[in-house]
Amino acid sequence: MEYYSYVNIFETKGLAYLLLLSFLVLGILLIRYLSAPEKNESAPGKKHSTTHS
Amino acid sequence: MSTAVIPSNELIRFAKFFLQELKPRGKWITPFNIISIPIILLGLIILYFRFTQGLGSVTNLSQQYPFGFWIGFDVMTGVALAGGAYVLCFVVYVLRIEKYHSVLKVTILNGLLAYIFYSGALVLDLGRPWHIINPIIGNSFGYNSVLFLVAWHFLLYTGALFLEFAPTIAGWAHWEKLRKFLTSLTLGTVIVGITLSMLHQSGIGGMFLMAKPKIHPLWYSEYIPLLYFVSSIFGGLSMVIFEGSVSSKVFSDLIVPKTHHSHEDVILGLGKGAAITMFVYYFFLAFIFMHGEKWTLINTSWGYWYLVEVIGFVLIPCFMFAYGVRNRKFGVIKTAAIMTVLGVILNRQNICLIAYNWYVPNKYYPSWQEIVVTLMVVFVEVWVFRWVVTRMSVFSKE
Amino acid sequence: MDRRQFLIASATVGAGGIPNVNIKADDVKEPKEFVGVLVDTTRCIGCRSCEVACSETHNNYVPDITGDNALESIRDTSEKQFTVVNRFKTEKGEVFVKKQCLHCWQPACAAACLVNAMLKTKEGPVTWDGDKCMGCRFCMISCPFDIPKFEYSGWNPRIMKCNMCYERLQEGKKPACVASCPADALMFGQKRELMEIARHRVYSHPDKYVHHIYGENEAGGTGWLYLSAVPFNQIGFRNDLGTTPYPEYTREFLISIPLIEFGVPAFLLALNVLTDRREELHKDDEWTESGVEK
Repeated sequence: MEYYSYVNIFETKGLAYLLLLSFLVLGILLIRYLSAPEKNESAPGKKHSTTHS
Repeated sequence: MSTAVIPSNELIRFAKFFLQELKPRGKWITPFNIISIPIILLGLIILYFRFTQGLGSVTNLSQQYPFGFWIGFDVMTGVALAGGAYVLCFVVYVLRIEKYHSVLKVTILNGLLAYIFYSGALVLDLGRPWHIINPIIGNSFGYNSVLFLVAWHFLLYTGALFLEFAPTIAGWAHWEKLRKFLTSLTLGTVIVGITLSMLHQSGIGGMFLMAKPKIHPLWYSEYIPLLYFVSSIFGGLSMVIFEGSVSSKVFSDLIVPKTHHSHEDVILGLGKGAAITMFVYYFFLAFIFMHGEKWTLINTSWGYWYLVEVIGFVLIPCFMFAYGVRNRKFGVIKTAAIMTVLGVILNRQNICLIAYNWYVPNKYYPSWQEIVVTLMVVFVEVWVFRWVVTRMSVFSKE
Repeated sequence: MDRRQFLIASATVGAGGIPNVNIKADDVKEPKEFVGVLVDTTRCIGCRSCEVACSETHNNYVPDITGDNALESIRDTSEKQFTVVNRFKTEKGEVFVKKQCLHCWQPACAAACLVNAMLKTKEGPVTWDGDKCMGCRFCMISCPFDIPKFEYSGWNPRIMKCNMCYERLQEGKKPACVASCPADALMFGQKRELMEIARHRVYSHPDKYVHHIYGENEAGGTGWLYLSAVPFNQIGFRNDLGTTPYPEYTREFLISIPLIEFGVPAFLLALNVLTDRREELHKDDEWTESGVEK
């Protein structure tokens, strides 16, 4: 038998948009982190974590 | 442009030269030789049994597991790790970033050898290898098959890699006019090569699209081809870093001193590329995970295994690359490269072997003969690599 | 000859050739549908005559149906037998199910085969051609029912699966298993005929059958159809295969191929042209050479 399950499209799409937003923001930060690695520069040397564990 | 006509006395000269070059140069007793020669001989014996008594006599392939270690490692993984060739060609020839030119020739050579040997290893896995001529000569083209595309693109791409490496061969044989002609073909060959690579790297993933009911849902998605393509980029870059660190120790006498210094900049650049690609890949995975509503699957043993692959071998090396590049820590970068290579191997093995038919009670694991033959293929490849780099100008700039 | 003369000559030759195209009356046949077999598991008595008939027809391993106790365990088809009968213990008693290739309408194996060794013939059966097969086993990976089996123990291995007795069909006969069934559990015909009969049986005896004809839509529809007294997942059928034909799963990828083959070289060439700084650098050199400070 085919099973049908209820999928909350808004929840899924909303999460997807949040993911995309975090991807773009973190992406910019990552590129900034990787460019011009001046040892003198006191930059936020933090790694960008996307997993909240 | 009379490059095609090579006079017969020239051929005689070349034949003599080639025979001279075949003579071994280094010592016979080296650790590598001691390990590799017996394994190569053992592999040949195993192949004798494979061809006379069938695949089942030397492999653990079964009706549930038609693809085994030979395909899972040689084709699915080896080809991905050879991705450095098309990525670096893109960077050096299309984008004209000369910084990476010093590692370009050795990467192309590695790619060429990888494709030749892994295609060869594929032939060993076929049930009726003499029929491999069928999809080539055109008496029966299966256009609807993803494998048809992969097979043809493998063939053409090996040709493209050969053309890209051919100027070095022509230079070694002292055929200057031919070398100049071949060099003029480079940009076109590179562009064709990158296109072919995009399709066959994603194609080997595309081969699993129809196996949807048989691959564990955490690993199956309609985006497998795209993921395979992206992982071939950072897998290839990591291999370049890894092979570079090995070659710079083993063949350090061959590397022109000037390139040693810029080698550090090359590693940093490659590490940066790997970090960014892996970041994108990780977000792809997160999107696919979310889109496929796979949350409930995580709290299972398969889920934990999936997390090991994705967090341990994608996300963590990604951070390590970023940290290593930022702080110029080459040990960290090299470790990240090794972990990334392992991660690509793991991902390919998962989709092809481990998470494939995951509900079946009799699991597949490679037989010792399969492992020996795979090692044999790799060792013979290294032998050829060593022969080439000690005779042709692979490590020096043109 | 100039262009005009060439065009007129070609058109004349072409027009002259038209009446030579023979359209015979029997070329325009009544459209036929793919054939298949209806398996009514409520009628099967588990005698396994079909296994014997199939193996005898194809020179495969003929089981000893009186003495091998094969029904004690659930078996799969193998490289030695194209078909097996399994016995399932259900709440409605023992159910016997014949297993073999389902001859899908859009077979994954045929789409997967890069040399067309696996072929969906125009009559309906999916056949294997040993002259073309390379033994790559990609058909085995693709088949959702895991039907093709490989002869791992031979130096010249075959892919073994039911071919609906294609050679017998060419001679106007029925498949060997259908002909040998003493209980009338197997019926051969075109799918629309079989569907009508199947529906008729279900509607006439709603308590006897589950209201589902397996194979009607599974994997995009198959040639072999099944009726059952119990839910199909209790008698060895998967219910999670979906109704999408399996080749559809590769469609998006295959469609993207020409896009990439043409788009990427153009894009790369554009990048190469756009990153060309030689003129710009040359001008910089000229500036410095001429002594002008930059």
